[in-house]
Amino acid sequence: MDARSIGTRRCGTRVSSLPWGAGRILAVMIAGLALFACSNDPYPDADQGRKVLYTSFIQAPRTLDPAVAYTTSAHAVTANVFDTLLEYHYRKRPYELVAGLARFVPKATTWADGRVAYRFAVREGIRFHEDECFRLSQSDGRRTREVVAGDFVFALMRLADPEVNSPIKSSLSAINGFDAFGVRLTSMRKEDESFAKLQPHEQYVRVGGMDGVATISPLEFEIVLDKPDGQILYWFGMPFTTPTAWEAVAYYDGNDGRDRLADHPVGTGPYYLAVYDKQYRYVLQRNEDWYGRTTVAPGTVFPSEGEPHDVADGLIEPEYFGKQMPFLDRIEFRRERESIPRFNKFRQGYYDNGGIIKESFDAVIQNDRLSEEMATLGMKLDKVTEPSIYYIGFNMDDPVVGREGGDRSRKLRQAMSLVINMDEYLKLFTNGRGVPAQSPLPPGLFGYDDTYRNPYRQVNLQQAKALLRDAGYEDGIDPKTAKPLKLTFDAGRTTSQDKLRYQYYINAWRQLGLDVELAATNYNQFQAKVRRGAYQIFTWGWIADYPDPENFLFLLETSKARSESEGPNSANFKNPKYDKLFWAMKDRPNDVERARLIKEMLAILEHERPWIELYHNEAYILRHAWLKNAKPLGLSYPVYKYLDVDPGERARLRLAWNAPVTWPVYALLVVLIAAVVPGVVTFYRERQ
Amino acid sequence: MHVISNIIVLALVAGAFALVQAVRGNRLWREALVELWRRRRISIVVLGLFVAVGLLDSVAWVGGAGSGTGDQVAASKPRSLIDRAFAPESFREVSYSAPFADIGFYDDAALEHPGEHILGTDILGNDVFYRTLKGVRVALLIGGLTSLIVIPIALFFGVSAGFFGGRIDDVVFFVMTVLASIPSLLLLIALIIVLGTGTLQVCIALGVTGWVSFCRISRGETLKLREADYVQAARALGVSERRIITRHILPNLTHLVVITFALLFTGLVLSETILSYLGVGLENSWGQMIDQARNELSRTPIIWWNIAGASIALFTLVLAVNLIADAVRDILDPRTLRERQ
Repeated sequence: MDARSIGTRRCGTRVSSLPWGAGRILAVMIAGLALFACSNDPYPDADQGRKVLYTSFIQAPRTLDPAVAYTTSAHAVTANVFDTLLEYHYRKRPYELVAGLARFVPKATTWADGRVAYRFAVREGIRFHEDECFRLSQSDGRRTREVVAGDFVFALMRLADPEVNSPIKSSLSAINGFDAFGVRLTSMRKEDESFAKLQPHEQYVRVGGMDGVATISPLEFEIVLDKPDGQILYWFGMPFTTPTAWEAVAYYDGNDGRDRLADHPVGTGPYYLAVYDKQYRYVLQRNEDWYGRTTVAPGTVFPSEGEPHDVADGLIEPEYFGKQMPFLDRIEFRRERESIPRFNKFRQGYYDNGGIIKESFDAVIQNDRLSEEMATLGMKLDKVTEPSIYYIGFNMDDPVVGREGGDRSRKLRQAMSLVINMDEYLKLFTNGRGVPAQSPLPPGLFGYDDTYRNPYRQVNLQQAKALLRDAGYEDGIDPKTAKPLKLTFDAGRTTSQDKLRYQYYINAWRQLGLDVELAATNYNQFQAKVRRGAYQIFTWGWIADYPDPENFLFLLETSKARSESEGPNSANFKNPKYDKLFWAMKDRPNDVERARLIKEMLAILEHERPWIELYHNEAYILRHAWLKNAKPLGLSYPVYKYLDVDPGERARLRLAWNAPVTWPVYALLVVLIAAVVPGVVTFYRERQ
Repeated sequence: MHVISNIIVLALVAGAFALVQAVRGNRLWREALVELWRRRRISIVVLGLFVAVGLLDSVAWVGGAGSGTGDQVAASKPRSLIDRAFAPESFREVSYSAPFADIGFYDDAALEHPGEHILGTDILGNDVFYRTLKGVRVALLIGGLTSLIVIPIALFFGVSAGFFGGRIDDVVFFVMTVLASIPSLLLLIALIIVLGTGTLQVCIALGVTGWVSFCRISRGETLKLREADYVQAARALGVSERRIITRHILPNLTHLVVITFALLFTGLVLSETILSYLGVGLENSWGQMIDQARNELSRTPIIWWNIAGASIALFTLVLAVNLIADAVRDILDPRTLRERQ
């Protein structure tokens, strides 16, 4: 019997013909031994010395269509398959946009009528990935073509197309004629059946394009905004606005055995999607044709300038400065549905990076640092403060805590803000992961001041009690009822774990003598309550769409108020002075004046206290020492072109960490013999 | 709310007295009780303690002494005798501390009440022993109240179906089959979502899903008893059906009622734990304590006292009730009674 059939891959042992029973037993034993002698390496041997990055995914994204994809799992692919006109500087914080496919970051030109224009100049010689959707070229026999300005315009039109259903459609409506284009398209499709049957690019041409988007020359285009929008350029740093080939959209329609566009991205990026098996694995292979291999540009050469401390912290290796990217040949994504095996494979060295699972948090992190066991394995821990804010909000429309109460309510809010101890809270509930918030702005954004300490976000029970006395609630007693002031805290989660967190706030307020009642309902009921305006105090969070302070400060602007427009300003905070500063700040470039405006806005929030800012979430990411340049971006775009691995070191450590444990086999053998011998002895004795 | 609760406690105590008086007049019951005390002394004492704690926790009033250090919020709410004994508003720490510890779990800071927390403190610094005692009332309420709802209903329908048969039997059996074919946990959650989460609502939901099995048992037993010789004889003598049921059927079901009560009671207390785990249980219950503590077991160093407090209390109560019910069944079942003599 051939031991190979047991299922080992590399180790076969042939067993000579032996008498039936003994032979069978011996074969099984040897096969067992062979199994243990083999390695548990899940990857082919041939890849061992290669520059391959191994990572995992839980669930394949629903779509990779650049106009639609808006999830972390999709960005892992789209951020590397597609290039963007602008890119985030890899090493600088606060975030800075640099030129990608564009030759330079365009400046806004304001026209006499108040409209604003941006002119993009596209680099020469950018080619799409080779793909069967393109025509065979007669000159070099390849299926690709050069990118022209029209491909960017086509991408913008797709974003405006209601049938594409892009999640960022409303964010680009400042472009002149953007919404009108979608409306015209819909009505044409409804009226004319033959029109509706045309390919998208033919439809777009027939509809007549967008007023505010024009190609100037084959490599230049201009967008015109009806009104200034300081955030518009951020959208050109995301895969949404990547050049899109009309050939790909027309070809990959899912008919006649062709893929859907959602599963078959055709881009220009440093990698192309070589294998896409949603159930098991996908592979990004290096694009030998990438423009960056011959062009020196901010997006193609490893940046030598940036935060100095990232080199000192070991996040960035100086030897890569000025080198042409990318460094990795291939990126392998393997599907791992369960968190524990995923973490175990990371620990065995078969994944290069990984998150920390709850089950082993205390084994990995001790006293907010890597545990000794992990540190000796050479693992590195990166803490990324996500551009997010969690807060407790007051409904400013409420007569007790809101603006109607004037000074009395303001002092109540200030007092309530003064007793929430975030350091303690984070220690108790998040294993210390998080940065106590002083204002809505998280670290890493323009306007964030490291030294700023909000006087109402420091714990001070005495001052809080004094404020409450001034407000007329001596010891928390409501003069109207002569009983402790009754307030309601509305929350959208009902598990015991979450209730403990809410109870923490309530206990803190109870020190002031306030009787806060918890009304925890499920999330849908909570949202319904918020829609009705039937809430007093609530807790919520916000994660940034793009790294601009505007994306946080707009949460407290009047026109975004829940009671005005169903907007995200759930605190219904309406302050004319704040609004004025907000509109002045919104579209300014990041300069001294903008910093001053933001500071003034934060001062208003500090005094008025529509929010009790709680914390900015912190993600802990583990990686192995052989993974180089893994500076976390914080935004959800893993950009693999900057990364590198040391495959020799990896192979060495994998071997060292996965030494087979053989004693159980011998132990088993002994037990087996001990079990069989008495039987054999009895058998022979009875025979005689 | 607390006034109603006080009245119910008063009624329960008065009812218990009346029952004792009635039992003392009846030779059969008196001997049964003496026999029970002889067999299950410890269990009875334990159960008595639980009941006492539950009753003490049910007598509450607003104002008065024992409100801790001037906590106005606590003083404005009804507090039970247990609350007053512990004054939980001041008898607390910052966060976790081990049983009888002098220092906090996280930062080794000195505790406010060193060595006084018999079962340590939970994540918010509440005394675990106090929380365990608070859970007694909820458990007794869930077990007791629901059993009191379920048993009469199940007995009524079961005996009617078994004794009268025909159409009544068809209808009752159809309803029972329908209910039994719905996964009970799903039905339970659906009912609680519809009714809302309150003590009475949870009791009703548990009752709706819990009466079927006992109804089936009592119907089967009645079917058997209906054909017994002495029932046939009574029929032949022209005894009314009502009298046959009260004289012959019900007394012969007593042991079943007792054993069902015990099984139901313990089952319900355990069911509530599962409901809490799913986030639809009752406040202050042991289930909630266990649910809150589930992540604590995977911490290093391990935090065991939270889950231990609730689990030991749950285990002790369920075991005591089961042991007592077992003995009661032995004593009351006419067949074992005959064997004993």
